[in-house]
Amino acid sequence: MSNTSEELVQLTINGNEITAPSSLSVIQALWHAGYPRVKSVGCLEGVCGSCRVLVRREDDADVSMELGCQTLVENGMQVIFLVFPTPTHHTYQLDEIKNSWDVQAQFHRIFPEAQDCRHCGGCVKTCPKGIDVEHGVRLANKGRFKEAGDLFIECIMCNLCMTACPELISPNHVGLFSRRVTAYFHIRPSNLINRLEALRTDQLQIIK
Amino acid sequence: MSKGTPYKEALARFQQVHGTAHELPDTSVDVDALLRDHHPDHLGGSIVDLEVGANRGERCHRQLADMLQSNARIDEADLAGAKTVETDVLIIGGGGAGCAAALTAAKEGARVILTTKLRLGDSNTVMAEGGIQASIDKDDTPQIHYDDTLRGGHNLADKDLVAKMVLDGPDVIRWLIKQGMQFDVDEFGDLLTRRAGGTTADRVVYFRDYTGLEMMRVLRESVLNREIEVWHYSPAVELLSDEQGHCAGAVITDLKKRRNVLVKAKSVIMATGGIGRMHLNAFPTSNHFGATGDGLVLTYRLGAQLRDLDSFQYHPSGLAYPHHLAGTLITEGVRSAGAQMINAEGQRFVDELKPRDHVSSAIIRECAEGRGVDAGESGIGIWLDTPGLDLRNPGIINKRFPKLVQLGKKSGIDPAKTPLLIYPTLHYQNGGVVIDENGQTTVPNLYCVGEVSGGLHGKNRMMGNALLEIISFGRRAGHVAAQSGYQRRHNKVSIAHLGPMQRDLTLAKMPMDLQGPMLFPDYAKFDSDAEYEGLRKTRNREEE
Ligand SMILES: Cc1cc2nc3c(=O)[nH]c(=O)nc-3n(C[C@H](O)[C@H](O)[C@H](O)COP(=O)(O)OP(=O)(O)OC[C@H]3O[C@@H](n4cnc5c(N)ncnc54)[C@H](O)[C@@H]3O)c2cc1C
Ligand code: SF4
Ligand code: SF4
Ligand code: FES
Repeated sequence: MSNTSEELVQLTINGNEITAPSSLSVIQALWHAGYPRVKSVGCLEGVCGSCRVLVRREDDADVSMELGCQTLVENGMQVIFLVFPTPTHHTYQLDEIKNSWDVQAQFHRIFPEAQDCRHCGGCVKTCPKGIDVEHGVRLANKGRFKEAGDLFIECIMCNLCMTACPELISPNHVGLFSRRVTAYFHIRPSNLINRLEALRTDQLQIIK
Repeated sequence: MSKGTPYKEALARFQQVHGTAHELPDTSVDVDALLRDHHPDHLGGSIVDLEVGANRGERCHRQLADMLQSNARIDEADLAGAKTVETDVLIIGGGGAGCAAALTAAKEGARVILTTKLRLGDSNTVMAEGGIQASIDKDDTPQIHYDDTLRGGHNLADKDLVAKMVLDGPDVIRWLIKQGMQFDVDEFGDLLTRRAGGTTADRVVYFRDYTGLEMMRVLRESVLNREIEVWHYSPAVELLSDEQGHCAGAVITDLKKRRNVLVKAKSVIMATGGIGRMHLNAFPTSNHFGATGDGLVLTYRLGAQLRDLDSFQYHPSGLAYPHHLAGTLITEGVRSAGAQMINAEGQRFVDELKPRDHVSSAIIRECAEGRGVDAGESGIGIWLDTPGLDLRNPGIINKRFPKLVQLGKKSGIDPAKTPLLIYPTLHYQNGGVVIDENGQTTVPNLYCVGEVSGGLHGKNRMMGNALLEIISFGRRAGHVAAQSGYQRRHNKVSIAHLGPMQRDLTLAKMPMDLQGPMLFPDYAKFDSDAEYEGLRKTRNREEE
């Protein structure tokens, strides 16, 4: 995997001193240096959210949370893999919601903390996908689920916003709830419904 | 491989012809000859005959054959004192197929355990971009879908399975919407459809280029909110059998508690996905980290029949440059939307929407014959003309392909201005475990669904049929497994089936030190990870 002509950088990952070419991601660098890594690796493409790492860069007091498969190594970087997140305590089933008039009341029953959002922006700061998570929670609180859900299109459910939220709101699950109720109650494509009807009445068969 | 034109020079030439119309040269090629000469399945020396098991004497890729004929990772000693758990349905694999099966079985009242190697949803499903096929368009019918699928698979698919799948299509989409999955719709709320390589109608429904992400996060949320027990970081390392040799559960290695657990189950549904991380023929892959073909190895050991083990899909558009992203997929949706492929000489060389094996072989041919773009260490490739697509449809790339834009950012390339260099990437296992219309394998009480199963795609899969298959057959198997009232005398459950298997291996003079399933690719160094010491007893004993 190495490229000899490439710049080598030095960093520490989980306390191990590592030298690796600068074109590698944090996970690739760990493997490159011969260290095992099995947990916190998934798609290797930035869509599954399992490779959460804490990153501190040289000359920067701030610590950020990032994705290990997407973060390229830099000189003087310190990286620590985060442990598996605890799941959200919110549970719900879509078919418990009687109809679309009932969604907002059910939302407040399922996510009572959402109204306590103190707009600290912690979730926004931590989101590796640059999602305006806080605004999403605000919109959901107002019952504007379609708009709220649309903000979370790129959400990979890495749970970093959940870890960051002091009010235990699980903002990403608020976002996913918003998306799911929108589909469940409002996506009614006539082309699909017509086709289902034709199938139900046996108008369409397969000749093998 | 003869070298092509250096990257910079080729890019300059591309920019010169950019904006002019590219005509397709003579397309009357002999497809069979093209595949024979250039498709990686036909690489000299890559195919062997299997020597033990239900497919003995049949053709199989060499690397896969090694794993199918490997020794078990565990023996009786590893099970002494292991905790035992009982359930109705055990589902192995937490991708789309496993989740669809789990949701269906649980809804019908079965006790369900879903165990998965990584976290729930870390899978190939979450990575799917292009979309899912379902005949919904007014100019389309299930019959046309059926015909396209068979033709695409070189008429080698199982006709009964394909018929079930295409008839399920529209209801699969409805089921997904009921789970809370969104699709792209037009201004009147109708589902948008697009064409896939090899289809004759617009049939792929999608959500942006995040179809798999949207599907997986919804299914995961749905599973976690039902009465389904989910075990993360818990790979299956062996199946359990009863005295008749029927499937009776599995041995699970809990990577967090670092111990083995026996799960006795009335039915087992294997949903472990594909083989990309076996890196066949040393190709890069588009697949997730856990795609190491474990389900094939485990089911084969218990006597299940497999099929088409010499047929794999190399997706035409894997990223070839920059090096650290090699193998990353660019969705076929980009070509369906009209992006062309241009060689180093500034010419098109194949109809971009031919079936995938055809297009991939054509790319490999161009590169082998010196018309590729040479990107140094990254290797070689040809251009995917995204700037041309954006020129003809201003703004389409930003609007329809956000994931492509992201990929461009990571590569330091703006796909609306600069073409991406692509080369085929190992993408999909066309064959797999033989199943019937309920996912039932040739071993009683053992079901297989999703990419691990075979028969639906013949020797070439079309875009969008994999996502359809996983939900269609996941639901089918979940339903039947939940009904299975099979009563078992639970005390006779064991790994006794390994005995005859090991005898056959010895007789065939197979190396007994190679252990399977693979679980993780070599470079993750699972087998030398001090953390998992106690779980590799067998291997260590041999090394001593
Ligand atoms: C990048 C990419 C893009 C794609 N795009 C499309 C598309 O647009 N349309 C389409 O139709 N198809 C597409 N495909 C194919 C499709 O996504 C997959 O074939 C399909 O999702 C497979 O689903 P599955 O549930 O069978 O397997 P997966 O989703 O891969 O799930 C398998 C699960 O099993 C687990 N597992 C593996 N081994 C074990 C073990 N030993 N024990 C326990 N668990 C185990 C894995 O960790 C994983 O969670 C794409 C594939 C890739 C890689
Ligand atoms: S919204 Fe939360 S879960 Fe989603 S990507 Fe951002 S931080 Fe991760
Ligand atoms: S972190 Fe929690 S409290 Fe703070 S803005 Fe986000 S949702 Fe609100
Ligand atoms: S491994 Fe999936 S997001 Fe990094």
